[in-house]
Amino acid sequence: MIIMVSVAFINPLSDEGKMIVRELGEFDGVLSENDDLMSIVTESRSQEISDDSFIPRSYFDLALKRIEWYAKKKNDRNFDHKQYDFLFNPDINKFDVIAFFLLCQAIGVKYGPNSRESRVLVESQGKLIENRLGKLSKIERNVLVTNILNSLLSSAHIKWTFFEDLISSKKLKLHELILDSGEIILDKDDFLERFSHKIQGRKPEKMYEALIGDRIKELVMIKMVMQNTENYILQVGERSNREIEPNPILLELADKISDVLLASVQTFGQGSGGYGGSVKASALNPKAFPPCVKKVMEGMKSGGRNDAIIMFLTPFISYARLYPAVFSENITKQISDVDPTLAIIQNEILPLIFGAAERCSPPLFEDQPQDKVNLNAKLGFGMHQNPELKNEGETTWYTPMSCEKVKIHLPSLCKPDETCKKIGNPLSYYNRKIWVVKKESKAESAAEEDKKD
Amino acid sequence: MVKIEYLTPASPEERKRYYREEWNIKQVPEYIIHSIQEREFGFDHVGRGPNDRYKVFRTPDLLKRFLKVRTPFAAYCSVAFYDKPRRRDRWTKAELVFDVDAKDIPVRTCECEGVCEICLNEAREIVLGIIDTLKADLGLKNIHVVYSGRGYHIRVLDNDVMSVNSDVRSQIVKYLVGADVPENEYSLDFEKVSYEHFVIPFGYPNVFTKRVKYAILHLTENSELDEVNKKLLKDVLKHRQLIELDNWGMFKNKIGPQRYRKVIKGIASINMSLVDAKVSIDLKRILRLPSSLHSMVSMKCTEVKNIETFDPFDDAVPKFVYERK
Repeated sequence: MIIMVSVAFINPLSDEGKMIVRELGEFDGVLSENDDLMSIVTESRSQEISDDSFIPRSYFDLALKRIEWYAKKKNDRNFDHKQYDFLFNPDINKFDVIAFFLLCQAIGVKYGPNSRESRVLVESQGKLIENRLGKLSKIERNVLVTNILNSLLSSAHIKWTFFEDLISSKKLKLHELILDSGEIILDKDDFLERFSHKIQGRKPEKMYEALIGDRIKELVMIKMVMQNTENYILQVGERSNREIEPNPILLELADKISDVLLASVQTFGQGSGGYGGSVKASALNPKAFPPCVKKVMEGMKSGGRNDAIIMFLTPFISYARLYPAVFSENITKQISDVDPTLAIIQNEILPLIFGAAERCSPPLFEDQPQDKVNLNAKLGFGMHQNPELKNEGETTWYTPMSCEKVKIHLPSLCKPDETCKKIGNPLSYYNRKIWVVKKESKAESAAEEDKKD
Repeated sequence: MVKIEYLTPASPEERKRYYREEWNIKQVPEYIIHSIQEREFGFDHVGRGPNDRYKVFRTPDLLKRFLKVRTPFAAYCSVAFYDKPRRRDRWTKAELVFDVDAKDIPVRTCECEGVCEICLNEAREIVLGIIDTLKADLGLKNIHVVYSGRGYHIRVLDNDVMSVNSDVRSQIVKYLVGADVPENEYSLDFEKVSYEHFVIPFGYPNVFTKRVKYAILHLTENSELDEVNKKLLKDVLKHRQLIELDNWGMFKNKIGPQRYRKVIKGIASINMSLVDAKVSIDLKRILRLPSSLHSMVSMKCTEVKNIETFDPFDDAVPKFVYERK
């Protein structure tokens, strides 16, 4: 079987990919116009070439196009795939691999593995692989995935703990895998040997194809490449800490990556297009609170009272009021950056939290007044009774708990509604819902006005 | 067998008698004795929670002397191992633990206020299910069970899992308790096939089926499940003998497919409370020291040798309780 598509087109971190980078040698040429690249792009089958800006002219441009493709695909309702068709043309492989390494190094040097830029690159690599595989024939796809998997996995019997990093980063969920005696079952013969005697009334082969087959193999392969990309960015970051002067081309690329992401958020909104523009701090609207927050606001009757008020509600209310864009902007702030006199904290935020604590049974601060110190600490004002500017920074302003954490720490709070399915953090729910609620109230007041007329 | 009404708090004199006459260092499990220098110990001397922490014992004899002299209200030991346990510094690894507290089980047939023989037995059933999955699916072997006084601690010491972080632990918990409804639609080449969890006899769907079965068989007419109204609950109870016989398809037909999805979704949601997940994801937790006295209920926190036959009212009651009668 001849494989037409290079392994490096799917896994740039493969030996083939590394060879391509070694062949390039120095950085010097990455900014110069490259005729070969431009002709591959313009000759890509469905490529839109009516505007010069659609065509990357250098390795540097191509790296940015890779990021732009993902950001636009995710956020732009008018996304035109024809502008990026070249990314799926296997002929671009050599240039694509180098663009990939440039991106990893720029992000590793400037932002590190925990940054938004790193997350976007890792996610975009996963999506690119999915889309590229989707354009192959079934047989070609299967052989390619098997080859790559074989090179990534050291043995036929893989313990689930081998995927610790993937499970930890939630790229793979434990319950999505078929486990037996500590091993992940991927191979068909292995599956049939272990389970066929247990399967009744259905063909074991068909069950294998449905439950594991190419789907899980591809999932594992893609997630491993994504994890390896993240690990590589981490390595670059660590290495660059030891070096004195990072290459200026990488720093320039890193800035440009940030610009591309910022432009995409400003133009099209963050996430999957639930609301437009960036989220600004404004007075709280309890109608837009997610079900879990509403429940705590009513007061907790039993278990988890302290965690619900201190760990969960306090960060949620304070961020929702003062810095709702924390996750999209990804900038660490202190409360005084957005509320310099602490007037909003004193007059709006604390009364809401104290009200919820009062409605608990028994009332939280009557029962445990010492917990006020913990509340204060979660706002970033250290272990003191009241928030004061002089103590700010002694502790960190806690960001709101994710839905995943709520399920673990306060499972009784999680009663998801339809909007919950689309978000991973109660604050994102609030940001999303606030637009809907505003729209509804505008429509209601318009209807009221009509009635008056 | 002692009755639950005798299990009132232990007096300071009873604690003294327990530690000086009945307690023996040999009752502390080997897996703790072996690593005693790497663990943090904590004590509660007056019954207000463990506030005497960061204790370290270089030898079992020093621990023995401390307990016999101080006769604490409660004694704890870390699941974490440290290079410098006195400062909880240089964490090296931690046991993977699951806390099944009888009073917090989301569906209990007894509906008692605290704990009773019935819910303690139900906690034991849950523990058996979790151990089964730990062994069969996750391939773990070094598993110990401790009766905590009001439920059970499962402590896993396989090296493979001792170093994993909180995120991995939280996924393990969700897998073990059946907190996610498995997929039921799968794509084949040109068709979609549907496999309900109960027709897949392996992997997570099989675990989920077992947890749903347990929950359905333990529901009462007062149980509360999200989006399951009284009428649906009544129908589930009416037809649940079909689940007992593993006739899932017939049960689903009787309930109706959409209402069946509601039931299993509701169960997946409450399953998260089968164990206290906070304990499992906390890498620096202290747990009751096996062999120590749970003074609130006058029971021994006891290493369980055989969970199939273990009976806390026979095996975890200190002698002084019998003399109260």
